[in-house]
Amino acid sequence: MATLEELQKRIQRLEDIKQIEKLQRIYGYYHDYEEWEKVVDLYSDNAESVEECDYGVYKGKEGVRRYYIDLLKGGKDAKPRVGYMSIGMQIQGVVTVDPDGRNAKGRWYGFFVEARPILNLHDGELRQLWAHGIYENEYVKEDGKWKIKKLHFFLNFRTPYEDGWLKTPVVGHNGPDMNVPPDAPPTNFHPFPSGVHFPPHFKHPITGK
Amino acid sequence: MHKQVLLQRWSNMNLEELEKQVQLQEDIQEIEHLQRTYGYYFDNHMWQEIVDLFSDNAESVEIIDHGLFYGKKGVRRIYWDMFAGGGKPRQWPAWEQWSVIQIGGVVDVSPDGKTAWGRWQTWLTESLPLGAFPHNEWSHGYYENKYVKEDGKWKFSKLHWNDTFCTPIEHGWLKNAQLGWMPLPDADAPPTAFHPYPSGYHVPYHYKNPITGK
Amino acid sequence: MNLEKLEKQVTLLEDIQEIENLQKLYGYYFDYSMFPEVMGLFSENTDSVEVTGHGVFRGKEGARRMYEAMLATKRSGWIFFEIMQSQGVVDIATDGKTATGCWYTPSFECRPFGGAQRQTWQFGIYDNEYIKENGKWYFKKLRWSLIFWTSFESGFLKVPRLTDDLAFPNADASPTAYHPYPSRYHVPFPFKHPVADA
Repeated sequence: MATLEELQKRIQRLEDIKQIEKLQRIYGYYHDYEEWEKVVDLYSDNAESVEECDYGVYKGKEGVRRYYIDLLKGGKDAKPRVGYMSIGMQIQGVVTVDPDGRNAKGRWYGFFVEARPILNLHDGELRQLWAHGIYENEYVKEDGKWKIKKLHFFLNFRTPYEDGWLKTPVVGHNGPDMNVPPDAPPTNFHPFPSGVHFPPHFKHPITGK
Repeated sequence: MHKQVLLQRWSNMNLEELEKQVQLQEDIQEIEHLQRTYGYYFDNHMWQEIVDLFSDNAESVEIIDHGLFYGKKGVRRIYWDMFAGGGKPRQWPAWEQWSVIQIGGVVDVSPDGKTAWGRWQTWLTESLPLGAFPHNEWSHGYYENKYVKEDGKWKFSKLHWNDTFCTPIEHGWLKNAQLGWMPLPDADAPPTAFHPYPSGYHVPYHYKNPITGK
Repeated sequence: MNLEKLEKQVTLLEDIQEIENLQKLYGYYFDYSMFPEVMGLFSENTDSVEVTGHGVFRGKEGARRMYEAMLATKRSGWIFFEIMQSQGVVDIATDGKTATGCWYTPSFECRPFGGAQRQTWQFGIYDNEYIKENGKWYFKKLRWSLIFWTSFESGFLKVPRLTDDLAFPNADASPTAYHPYPSRYHVPFPFKHPVADA
């Protein structure tokens, strides 16, 4: 029979997994509504980086702020554009908590339905798009709360509604932004049909490899 | 002797804490289970089973612009009388189908463990009639639902599904975000929040920011 | 309130989490055609596997035959599938040794049909069984029923299936539940009613 301490450790791990799933889903919901400041607040003050698609790597909490507020939002005082939509459904989350209970990793599918410009992030007519990709994220527990430490979104496709991924795998991605440049170039932009795989963080539950 | 008593008290206190923690995880798990089961029943037109997922003291049901239905009576009216045709044998044409995929629940249980809230989103693929013609549609929506624990079981207390868009697949949401919905004649009250894309309406969150608490 | 009872409750929660994980991992491995990793998730005492109309494959050896045909060949980068494992409802038996799982899979694919490259939307449902052996959960029986498999351009109303899924020649038996849209067939749910039957 397990001891009290052992049971506490076991239930703690389950709680941690649930908290992280919740964090990631809340990230998704804030992202859906372009609540960029709230998104930034989900990151640790010691955040490592955020990297999505081919935008490049934005380092530290300062980089996270620049990415969401300066780049995605278009500036601190920018107003949301009527008709803009990017709903990103967070699906199939697999969360692995380290034995120390302070660090964790998560893999998610992101499935997006969007109405946004493709000339760049802000200019031009709205286009309806399907997008899909994979998150491989890192989380850290600080003051009893789980926060995002590193977010990495690997784009699979971003295609016009009218075309589909076979016809037009990627639109709207022309490399890092010149006005809000990243701290480092993109590390992993290999969308469809490259066939490049984004390796999972998790070990095989049976073989352990 | 005194030390033993203290250790025993510490142990009891920790056992109590542990029990609370276990209970909370069980509650979250059960609510996720309940919500996902609702989804499967809904897709398979299992209306009585859905009515049975609701508390007898259910508050209300509101689905897109069908209107507000109060109490368990309202739950029966919308799911059984309307969707199920009152239980009369009703042949849905084979091509009529919907799948309301339940995604990404954020579940919060109240400190007393008796009520809870859940936010979910749904991706739908469906084929439904509009007028005389079958239509194939994509649809998206959000739930902000309330649950209640009665006799040790979690049930729906209030269900509210907000439509983001429902578009024919030939068009897409940008061209045509709303098609084929309608208010139901027997509702108790008009819908409280029917503001589909591109209104920019945000379905309010039941939760506060988990980091800032705001 | 005692330690033994609490341990049972904690174990049950862990079991559900582990099975959800198992199913999602299967999804990620499957999408990347990681054949050995997929096989590693199945019990040595696997009952059977069945995917759409490919037929029933019995035992772990049968599962190996089926997945080898589906996953083991190298493929060009433009051929891909993403079967998103969603809405899992997992029920553990009272003895804690077996379990059932119901999952939806909204999916998209790109693969050859006849001589042409086609992009497709796909949707299906699992009713699976799992077994706990040596403290770990494995797949015991996997069954994935196709609901629709349509072209991106048409949608499932116009074109429910681009092709009919015929049984593989080396299957052990005909498919048990190949009734895709618009057959109105409903895969019987493996789970109990959470209120009425709990």
